[in-house]
Amino acid sequence: MNTQINSDYVPDVLVIGGGIAGLQSALDLADQDLRVLVVERNSSIGGRMIGLSKVFPTLDCASCITTPKMSAAAHHPNIQILTNTEVQAMETRNGIHSVRLLQKPTYVNFDKCIGCRLCEYACDTEYPDPFEEGLGSVRAIAVPFTNAIPQKAVLDAEHCATCGVCARVCPTDAIEFDQQPRTLTIHTDSVIVASGFNLNAVTVKPQYNAARSSNIIPPTMMERLLAPHGPYGRVLRPSDGKIPSSVAFVQCAGSRDESIGVPYCSRVCCMYAIKQAMLLSGALPLADITIYYMDIRAFGKGYEQFFQNARAMGINFVRGKVARVDPIEDGDLRLHVETTDDAENPLQEHRHDLVVLAQGMIPAWNPAATTPVACASDGFVATPSLTDPTATSAPGIFVAGAAAGPKDIVDTIAEAGAAAMQVSRYLHEKRAAVLVGQAVHG
Amino acid sequence: MSEHNQQVQPQKNKPMQNERAADAPLRIGVYICRCGGNISDVVDVDRVAETVKLLPDVVTAKVHTFACSDPGQQTITNDILEQNLDRVVVASCTPFLHEQTFRGAVSRGGLNPYLYEHVNIREQASWAHKHDPEGATIKAIRMIAAAVGKLHHVEPLEQIKLPNHRRALVVGGGIAGMKAASELAGRGIKVLLVESSQRLGGQLNDRGRVYPTERDAKELVEELARRVRTHSNIEILMQSNVTAVSGFIGNFKVAIRTEAAGIPVTETTVGAIIMATGFRPYVPQDGEFLYRTEPGVVTMPEFLQLLRSTPDAARKLTWNGRVIRNIAFLHCVGSRQLDGVHEPPPNGRLNTYCSRTCCTTILQQALEVRHRFPSVGVFDFYRDIRTYGRGEENYYSAASRAGVTFFRYNGEEPPRVELTPRARAKEGVLSVTLNDTLTWGTELSVPVDMVVLGTGMMPGEIADLIEQMKLATGEDGFLQEVHPKLRPVEVSVNGILLAGTAQGPMNIQETLAAAGAAAVKAAAMFAREDVELNPYVAEVDLSRCCGEALCVTQCDYEGALQMVSMEVEGATVERAQVNAGLCVGCGACVAVCPNRAIDVNGWRLDQFEAMVDGIAAAIPGQECTPELVNIH
Repeated sequence: MNTQINSDYVPDVLVIGGGIAGLQSALDLADQDLRVLVVERNSSIGGRMIGLSKVFPTLDCASCITTPKMSAAAHHPNIQILTNTEVQAMETRNGIHSVRLLQKPTYVNFDKCIGCRLCEYACDTEYPDPFEEGLGSVRAIAVPFTNAIPQKAVLDAEHCATCGVCARVCPTDAIEFDQQPRTLTIHTDSVIVASGFNLNAVTVKPQYNAARSSNIIPPTMMERLLAPHGPYGRVLRPSDGKIPSSVAFVQCAGSRDESIGVPYCSRVCCMYAIKQAMLLSGALPLADITIYYMDIRAFGKGYEQFFQNARAMGINFVRGKVARVDPIEDGDLRLHVETTDDAENPLQEHRHDLVVLAQGMIPAWNPAATTPVACASDGFVATPSLTDPTATSAPGIFVAGAAAGPKDIVDTIAEAGAAAMQVSRYLHEKRAAVLVGQAVHG
Repeated sequence: MSEHNQQVQPQKNKPMQNERAADAPLRIGVYICRCGGNISDVVDVDRVAETVKLLPDVVTAKVHTFACSDPGQQTITNDILEQNLDRVVVASCTPFLHEQTFRGAVSRGGLNPYLYEHVNIREQASWAHKHDPEGATIKAIRMIAAAVGKLHHVEPLEQIKLPNHRRALVVGGGIAGMKAASELAGRGIKVLLVESSQRLGGQLNDRGRVYPTERDAKELVEELARRVRTHSNIEILMQSNVTAVSGFIGNFKVAIRTEAAGIPVTETTVGAIIMATGFRPYVPQDGEFLYRTEPGVVTMPEFLQLLRSTPDAARKLTWNGRVIRNIAFLHCVGSRQLDGVHEPPPNGRLNTYCSRTCCTTILQQALEVRHRFPSVGVFDFYRDIRTYGRGEENYYSAASRAGVTFFRYNGEEPPRVELTPRARAKEGVLSVTLNDTLTWGTELSVPVDMVVLGTGMMPGEIADLIEQMKLATGEDGFLQEVHPKLRPVEVSVNGILLAGTAQGPMNIQETLAAAGAAAVKAAAMFAREDVELNPYVAEVDLSRCCGEALCVTQCDYEGALQMVSMEVEGATVERAQVNAGLCVGCGACVAVCPNRAIDVNGWRLDQFEAMVDGIAAAIPGQECTPELVNIH
């Protein structure tokens, strides 16, 4: 993989986003001998999936599925990857997309960096590790995480104390404090938007009081707590390191609610809550685990059976809406629930010591602002074609994965393959037409 | 085929380092993966590394958190180059996940990828012996010792290359089949599309408007049908069935029978087969919710037909001569079935899965009834409303606003459909009774004129093809992929791909995406001149074969092994011959050969013996050998 490319490099396809969707599309295209450039705005490819613990419904460890795809893309002779790179703008003329890319400074010369991490070990400044959802800390100059690609140190200018120790210990003189942002423009025949999703804020519903208790956590934090190589190596609640004895999952905490602007279903929350509950009951056999839900949406292949297994395992499913979460003494939380399960006692209060809010999926990037790609009213990329679900409103630009709406990994991978197929067909037909044109005019 | 086949090829311009003096000792590197704790939480990986370092010719043994990650692979590649390793062992997860990954890393170091052994200490040690860390650790050591033993007996192997017929067979002319065919054709690949019925479009022909676009399914079918009919790369055989399949990836021989009189069976060769055989709607059993007992109880396909045949201008909805004033929709009929609650269908297998599309279909139809016939009362009986897809939640909120009344039942207590007592017959001939969990379990009885059963999807009836092609089906009866994330459209037989609802329930967008995903795997496969296969196939030692043909009688794979005539010392004799494309390397032939004249490359008998010796040998550095019985 290259960390630097020149403007005269002309890929057949530009893939925006190096998560599982972008990587799968890139691999399916590169295996057809097409040249692919993947741009990723973070410091490593792997996207959201590399931060997960295990994945439903097979309970494979997420790293075991993601790292080989990351590695395959990094080693593929037809794939180039640019990390720390954002798409600034795109315009299309005569079927050629000109894409302006912004390469953010990493303050490390990637051609020189050998990933030895001496700088990281020497650095004295720490800040909450974004990869660990803030649970651990990371040095101001560091390789982003264990299995990151590329294995290159990146300096976080916001937290750097500019002491210069990294530069002194670097054996290859790779530290460059004077790096500047660099823009370059890539011209390409086709584009896949695979820019993924974000979660809406854990505080989106004020009645859940996430701002007032660090024991009301986002699901991504629970993923890190459950990951075997996570920040603590076991499940401890953030406020005081206590082993939780009663964990609540509040479903639809950021979805299916017009009042917060997310009227749609985020599609994955039921399944990851069930998965996390199962993993928790393995990690904490004595803990009570309750999932408060409106509808369990276990729709995919093997999902319903997964849900029934969770019920059989003794995970408590309570149908009802959580009205409020109140922080109480000892760092615990009181949930006020209106349930339809209990006629005698429909308004209930339950005490838990850790609460996971199922936040909603929202688009990570709005391409409509700077590119010819239109978005639908839900903010995700519009896919107007009846027959080609990965085609966007702009010819030659396609979309894969959660950029076109919430989606689980299985559906994302299928869609990534479909987008790659559409691109290869598009390019084949476009180039055949050019050849015919040349024959006619020549 | 693997999507990363090219990685197994040794990199060019690099010296092959496995050339060494015959008597020089081997240089073996062993890499032990923690699997981020999946292994190291149980197996003492550091002790494993220390111990296996003492095994013969092991020059390095290292532990890595994720051996499959890029830095993990890089360690292996670098060690091969820097420490002149000529054999590599990785002890990690199942080879099914990462054998190819590590072969790639070994190749990048310039080593033949088959001078590599994969040891599964996750599924077979840490996961299997979670409560016995000591036993799991000993087992891991012994398994690695077996691999090291085997590596003393391996030679470089080359992948088998076979010609690739650049043409795909697509079985099924529904939207999945048409989509896959048109994508491949547009990519410049020839396609043979076989459809058993008289029309393209499959189940969608009977669908009416589709969610969430609310466009007519006909539009979609006609657009795809136009593409496949007009593309010069696509040949269509209608009213035709695949009757025989033989051969292997790149070279499948298929026989196709067309129903029309006078057309002989077509025999042809294709390189890949895309299974787009679709689903069939669940048909309730006689008497299930009074289906086929009471005419007012209909399935969703029957109801769609009724709505479509009712003129737009009609003011009333009538069925069987009766004006419909109240309709009940029942969710999960034939889906999400529970043991002990539901009667199994005639095949004896409960449909435990969710059919994925019925909830939104019901809400869509409920809304249509409310809009076209505002006086008709609509009652919806559900377990969970699964409007998960893009634009689907809107149907639920719109139905609520449009006055659809919802009732919710627990899966363990399905609603009962009964005839209304005569005295109340004017309210409706039928009644639906349930313990409504939305009103804290109150028993409610709703009189209606019609009950629409939200019937789900069943696997298509393709038992013959499954048998012919040796396909696997899941517990749900649908065709089974190798792995839902790593190889989601591939099956265990290379060169056969899955598209759409043959694999499980899907909605239209998902079906089209799955068809594209299947097509792209075929397109990548056809991007190569040759098909490359693992070299683990049987090989005959002609100096020992005496032509008894015991091996041929034992072989389960038609055409993989046959007797051929050849000249040996002037006499014409029969000798066994292997077809490398069809041989799967199972070894059944090896077991019966009285002369040890046949063996499987890469898994030879002497290699197995070395593995057994490795397992049984004393553990280096350990005073007394733990009992073998501990490690079962």
